[in-house]
Amino acid sequence: MSVARRTFIQLGAGATVGILFTPTVWKALDDVSIWTQNWPWIPKLKYGAVENKPTVSKMCESGCAVKVRTVAGEPFGTMGNEDNPISGGGICPLCANGVQVKNSPNRIKAPMLNGEEITWEKAQEVVAEKLAAAGSKVAVISGDQTGTANEVFSALLADKGSDAFYVMPCDMQAADKAWTGLMGGSGQIGYDLEGADLVLLAGADALESWGPTVANLKSFAANESGKFIFAGPMQTKTASVTSEWVPVPAEGMAAFTLGIAYYVLQAGKSVDTGDFGQFKAMVMSEYTPAKVEAATGVKADRMAAVAKQLLTASNPVVVPAGPVAAHGAAFALNLLLGGAMKALPEFAKAIPTAMSRSEMLKADILDGVDTDLLFVYEANPAYALPEKVKAGFTVAFDMVQTETTATANLVLPSLHPYERFDDLASPYGLAAATYSLGAPVCKPAVDASSAATFILGLADLGFASFEEVLGAKVEAIGADMDALQGGEAYVVEGEAPMAASLAANVLGKAAVPVKGTGAVGLVPYTLLNVGTANQATTPNAPCTISNNQLLGDYMVVMMGSATAKQLGVSVGSKVKLSGGKGECEALVQIFEGVMPGVVAAPLGLGHTVGDEFSKGKGDNVYKILTVSSEAAAGASTWAGSTVNVAKI
Amino acid sequence: MEERKASKRCGGVFPFIIGFLATCVLGWAVIPGLFFQKEEQPVWFSHAVHVDGQGMDCESCHYFRDDGTYAGFPTNEVCAECHAVDPEEAQAAIAEEGIDPNDYDAIMKAGIGAIEDNLASSDEDKMQAEREYVVKYLIQGKEVPWLNYQYQPDNVYFSHASHKSLSIEDLASLKKELSDVVDPSVFEGEAPEQNCNLCHLKDIQTNDVPPALERNVLSGYSKTTMKMWKCERCHALKGQPNACYTCHK
Repeated sequence: MSVARRTFIQLGAGATVGILFTPTVWKALDDVSIWTQNWPWIPKLKYGAVENKPTVSKMCESGCAVKVRTVAGEPFGTMGNEDNPISGGGICPLCANGVQVKNSPNRIKAPMLNGEEITWEKAQEVVAEKLAAAGSKVAVISGDQTGTANEVFSALLADKGSDAFYVMPCDMQAADKAWTGLMGGSGQIGYDLEGADLVLLAGADALESWGPTVANLKSFAANESGKFIFAGPMQTKTASVTSEWVPVPAEGMAAFTLGIAYYVLQAGKSVDTGDFGQFKAMVMSEYTPAKVEAATGVKADRMAAVAKQLLTASNPVVVPAGPVAAHGAAFALNLLLGGAMKALPEFAKAIPTAMSRSEMLKADILDGVDTDLLFVYEANPAYALPEKVKAGFTVAFDMVQTETTATANLVLPSLHPYERFDDLASPYGLAAATYSLGAPVCKPAVDASSAATFILGLADLGFASFEEVLGAKVEAIGADMDALQGGEAYVVEGEAPMAASLAANVLGKAAVPVKGTGAVGLVPYTLLNVGTANQATTPNAPCTISNNQLLGDYMVVMMGSATAKQLGVSVGSKVKLSGGKGECEALVQIFEGVMPGVVAAPLGLGHTVGDEFSKGKGDNVYKILTVSSEAAAGASTWAGSTVNVAKI
Repeated sequence: MEERKASKRCGGVFPFIIGFLATCVLGWAVIPGLFFQKEEQPVWFSHAVHVDGQGMDCESCHYFRDDGTYAGFPTNEVCAECHAVDPEEAQAAIAEEGIDPNDYDAIMKAGIGAIEDNLASSDEDKMQAEREYVVKYLIQGKEVPWLNYQYQPDNVYFSHASHKSLSIEDLASLKKELSDVVDPSVFEGEAPEQNCNLCHLKDIQTNDVPPALERNVLSGYSKTTMKMWKCERCHALKGQPNACYTCHK
């Protein structure tokens, strides 16, 4: 027995030594180490042709003309489209994350009726039934400012005898109310930022979130000889790169603009409108530099200096933001100066019964909405409106879960811009009317459908699909479909604006600064990487949000040291801001680029529904905005919102 | 005592040597083969038929795209330039015959005109291979999952474009140094116009029956997948950078 054991041990020892003299062990070790490259959870690369497919992205308010980078037909990145004047090869922080949002787990995967998954056929039945019952008590809230999808929705409203088409509050709306409403102008206002030799950005933070941001940045970069001045309550990122920052409170922007108009009128400038004399008299008596200084705190000689620069420029332009009055005052000043403000023609409609863009902008959502059946198209009123929107039954179309889809009765998943046909017609702010088209660049990732095609199935509007509507649109405007699908834009240059009136009566009253009763003024500001009213921050954007907007899970508000002293707070203090109908919690940061007596807070944080990048991050400033009436202008505004600040 | 004696008789180095030699033989001759399993290509593709028979050249299928990337295997789109079966017409014909579109054997046996009339081959065995490709892939809109003898891990960035100017003729001077990296027979005879043989099977363009891919059962890679040291050796010999980021982007 012991013999066999010893022999066996010797044999085994020999075998062990022998195997070490072969490649077996070493090869096995090598292969095992290589095998660790291939854990099953490691994503596999997709191989195939790399293509740049042109389309449009609708994630920011203006929309970006983009090229989607795909490999074997699968998108993996987005970049600007250098062939399109809207982007000129650039891209905004929201649209840059288009692929990540397309693949987000937060996407709505199928139609949901009161939380239960249903089929598209069932959804069509439910909506048809509700539509029949609602009669003319049907309304639409659209978060899309530039799409022909709005024509489809408004044509449905027209079919039902309703004109309740609402857009989320935006500068395009305020501009339209001022231009076509008060001043009797026609077309859409645009600003030639590239061609102007002096640009006064009157509240428009054009290089970060106002208007077609990417096009603005391109114009700013191309306009080497032009001078840019920023006026506003806070030294924004835009202000940081302009030649001059003039601190002006938001509610005083219209008065400030008329204060400049005083000097311009004094220099003998005039406009050929029926009420020019009345306007001149109004400004010369009610908006003298001394009165404006008393109302806004802006020194008269500061206004005189700005006016002098505007008067000596050969092609100046004033770019407004905020309330209707601020727009009206800026338009009047632009007409006096005769500079780089343009009037853009509206493109022909694809659906004859649809509203024009100007008609779509007329209804004031801040007045409140009360209807039996409400369609919400890629907007988030439950998050971004302080007033409750009331509806018997709400149908929400969106790509991703939002506060609005969480409360809607029926939620219908929209196709992502890369999965659908869509268009971008004249984003507000551009100096030329531009039309861009987008076609699907990949297959839908979820069981989504085109919202507009769904609506076309509810009434006989003359089209079976949204693709057909877009075909008709392209034909109506006389553009070339192949060129558009190749990523080029159809461009019609803007013209010199002509107004019937300077709205002297209205502006005289509406430009008076009206401020709330809170301890300090509130300056809400938008940064695209933080998010907009309709779009929360996107997956790659949080790493670009600074500690001056979000620290940990806390929102950060900024104020000057004098304001902090007045409120008894310091850097890092945790405070509660109360205003409007709500409260917000925030940390304090000192920034001397905020006017004394005001606190600046970022819009777009504090989502209660969404993905890990936005949900529970910071607080929602829309809760503490106060809606005030621009009585004379017949509109509502958030400018002049104030808050009380308490240390907690 | 008896047992101890026996132990002495059978002891010593003999069993050690037996064990040593046995595993040496196994370790060199038998076990390495067990690390690999053979996998056949999904369709019999004859390079000889396409290159010799039809006069095609390598770039007809293995080409550089406009953006400089290498297309690798041809897609259905490329194959359909010659294999002129219309997928829609074929599917309609299959439906007309009442055949389940997923029942490939039934489709191939049915002799459907929309397929049969458009086959390019003449020999029955080659026709059968073409039929198989057309029915299983072309008309289904599925790309053929070709087995790549030489594929690299995802964490390696290998650019064909960067290597296309390497000349076998020039490299012949490094034949000795490259003997572990490149099959020495590549340097025999007249140097071919293209350098594909440096890494790929020599004279694959004359091959009629595609060889099986030998897949390593542990690592999952092909037997001919190039190891890192081979890349490094060649880079060093050619004076090219060997920093990590050269290949690992």
